[in-house]
Amino acid sequence: MIGLSLSMSIGFVIAFIWSIKTGQQEDLTTPAMRILMDEKKTKNRNL
Amino acid sequence: MNLIAATQKPIITDSHCFHCGELNQANSIIYQKHSFCCSGCQQVYQLLSDHSLEDYYACDVVPGRSPHEQRFGFLDHLIFREKLITFSKGGISKVTFNLPGIHCRSCLYLLENLHKLNAAILKTNLNFTKKELSVWFEESEISLGELANFLASLGYEPFIDSEESKTSRHQNLKEENALFMKLGIAGFCAGNAMLFSFPEYLGIEDGELKHLFGYLNLFLGTIAVFYAGSDYFKNVWSHLKLKKITIELPILLGILVGYSRSVYEILTHTGAGYIDSVSGLLFFLLIGKWFQQKSFDFLSFERKYTSYFPLTITKIVQGLEVLAPLQEIAVGDHLVIRNQEIIPADAILYRGQSHIDYSFVTGESEKIKIQVGDSIYAGGKHTGEIVEIVIIKELKQSYLTQLWEEQVFKDPLHKTENWENFANKVGIYFTFGLMSLALVVGIYWLINDPNKWQNSVVSILVIACPCALAISYPFTLGHGMRWLAKFNFFIKDTQSLERLAQIDTIVFDKTGTLTLSNNEGAKEHFIRPLTHDEWSNLYSLVQQSTHPIARQTKKWIQNIGFAQMTKAEMFSEISGKGLEAYFNGIQYRVGSAPFTGHSSKTKNMYQISESQLYLQMNHEPLGYIEFPWENRPGVEWMLRQLQSNYNVYLLSGDKKEHATHLLDWFPALESCRFECSPMDKMNFIKSLQGQGKKVAMIGDGLNDAGAIKQAHIGIAVSDDHMHFTPASDAILQGSSLANLPKFLYFAQDGLKLIKLSFIISLIYNAIGLSFAIQGNLSPLIAAILMPLNSISMLLIANAGMNYHGKSLKRQYKSYN
Repeated sequence: MIGLSLSMSIGFVIAFIWSIKTGQQEDLTTPAMRILMDEKKTKNRNL
Repeated sequence: MNLIAATQKPIITDSHCFHCGELNQANSIIYQKHSFCCSGCQQVYQLLSDHSLEDYYACDVVPGRSPHEQRFGFLDHLIFREKLITFSKGGISKVTFNLPGIHCRSCLYLLENLHKLNAAILKTNLNFTKKELSVWFEESEISLGELANFLASLGYEPFIDSEESKTSRHQNLKEENALFMKLGIAGFCAGNAMLFSFPEYLGIEDGELKHLFGYLNLFLGTIAVFYAGSDYFKNVWSHLKLKKITIELPILLGILVGYSRSVYEILTHTGAGYIDSVSGLLFFLLIGKWFQQKSFDFLSFERKYTSYFPLTITKIVQGLEVLAPLQEIAVGDHLVIRNQEIIPADAILYRGQSHIDYSFVTGESEKIKIQVGDSIYAGGKHTGEIVEIVIIKELKQSYLTQLWEEQVFKDPLHKTENWENFANKVGIYFTFGLMSLALVVGIYWLINDPNKWQNSVVSILVIACPCALAISYPFTLGHGMRWLAKFNFFIKDTQSLERLAQIDTIVFDKTGTLTLSNNEGAKEHFIRPLTHDEWSNLYSLVQQSTHPIARQTKKWIQNIGFAQMTKAEMFSEISGKGLEAYFNGIQYRVGSAPFTGHSSKTKNMYQISESQLYLQMNHEPLGYIEFPWENRPGVEWMLRQLQSNYNVYLLSGDKKEHATHLLDWFPALESCRFECSPMDKMNFIKSLQGQGKKVAMIGDGLNDAGAIKQAHIGIAVSDDHMHFTPASDAILQGSSLANLPKFLYFAQDGLKLIKLSFIISLIYNAIGLSFAIQGNLSPLIAAILMPLNSISMLLIANAGMNYHGKSLKRQYKSYN
């Protein structure tokens, strides 16, 4: 049990360190806006 | 502008440009059923529609920006290539531009689809908050300068700063990430340490597990103290070397004593130690630090004059034009200056004719005609054909730039080193108080019960941590900065906000700060509407004069779109009265009321003469145009408010006559200074400080840069582009200026809140100490009291600042 909880929490720490090292925390606004961008309208005509 | 654009939706009619939303002139361009204000806007639209990127216009605000002149060819110079390109391999290079024009999601759409417009661009990535665009491109196909020109042609002019190198930005990012990392690790350690300490608190007796948990705790605690807390070691050490005691010393002491005690207890199996309390405290402290570190990435508080100046110059060496970096200017050099370029150093015009616009330096947008042989000061912007100038002064010794050679600009700490901030002042007393208490209690127990002295001294040092100051401070001030930013008042850091709350003297710059050359509000009071031709005649007439009101009228006519030159005959200017001329035999007269046959009415004092232009046509009085608010709206009210609590001064580079409409609000004549040079302004602030006053300087142009730097807190007022402000402690948008008194009260409320939290935290400390002095502070009590103290500080800071912020929001009024 203790080993399990410890390894889980260490897993989270590693995920956290990885997220910082890969720069995921640097820009929190732009991706949120990017997801709202529509792809080109011309694609819809093919449907 | 960009901030306003995000919140307001202009009404789009045919009279506005489809691309940029500007009011169309009479000669607007119609293309594909849309009207455009200029061919630049139309071309951008055409380019986008040709590549089926019309979605750009689907945004809720008018997304476009009128394209700029393309003048980035200089970037092809090797110096800039090295500075700007961050990565280059296999013909593909990456560059990051700062684009101040980014303002809405359409910008994102367009800028991330650049590869569709230009095949040489492979990929783009936008950081919206920082307004930075990273471009991956093929250098063999498009050069750096061409790329910048391409962006400018779309309306996104890159801002190239020679000062800020990529390394310093990189450094900042690294520090930010390091703090974030420490915060995360501290949180992890604190959470798990609490978990492992639980059995102890619940009184579960299991010898083996207890020891295992003890060792695990020790492991976590060591990481927390020596990794997450490493900044405290560094800071305290560097302060001690300077023989300074800061608030961080008692904090570090508490942490270290608590940690060592825990190591001892755990290794000797005598107890559980305080690991959970210590790492929890560190976690809260780091949250505070992180919260405090709010930075407004899209603003720069550190601009020097070089940020405004060209990065390269064109020298003439042996009859050839040579591109050279700005720093290589020497006296006697011949430089070529093109239209819209800025004069880098004091010079004499050698060939050609120039109109120099000194608005950068003075804030006054008046063009001055320069003939061959006349001198030109650095900072002026040249308009007209290509000219040749001869440099007469070194870059650093020019009239404007010598300001930056003053001591204040060389010493980055001059504002803080003589400033006793509340936390550190209290920190000193706190540290000494704590030490003597520990000493007294230790001696008492040594005499009465030698077994207890160790325990009690350790407990005192651990429990009496000045949490209030270390946690309440960053949270309260950090919140304050965030609230003020909502009202377009951006403060550099929390120390600046604290200084803002403590000032007692406010100095205003006049031009551009209190007054505006804005004609939007002009009112026509003619007995009949003027025809198109009559407007044009009037335009041609006022064109001849440099009187401020004539210039304002000229701008107004340009605004309404009747700016056409017609032929004037028998022109004459009667000094102090007005102008007269004949157009097609019809007499026109403009000027004061008596001069044009109007009966003069008495008006409010600050509205007289200078803000009205009367018109007489064919010897018949026709009425007048009024520019009712030459003062920035709301300024009178603001001055009234401030004068009841502060000493308010006015500084102006202008002559006294130009400030009549403001003099009413500065009754004491000694509170105004006219015809000040940039250096005078700075010295005036210095003399006020010499009298022991705490001064805020509020200005706009580069001519205020010295005063802004010298003052305890320098506020730069900016109207359109938040980017063009001199180095300052805070940037305030013009439309929010009249709210300044409210902002000041808000800042003061913040400081009061900190003091209140300090008292509350002292109560917690008193409870904790009452246990500690008796030598029976159990880890359980510490584990409850310390986080409780921290959390209540956090809650008070949050709730208090939100309360003050909301009441500020109710009172806030934007003047546009």
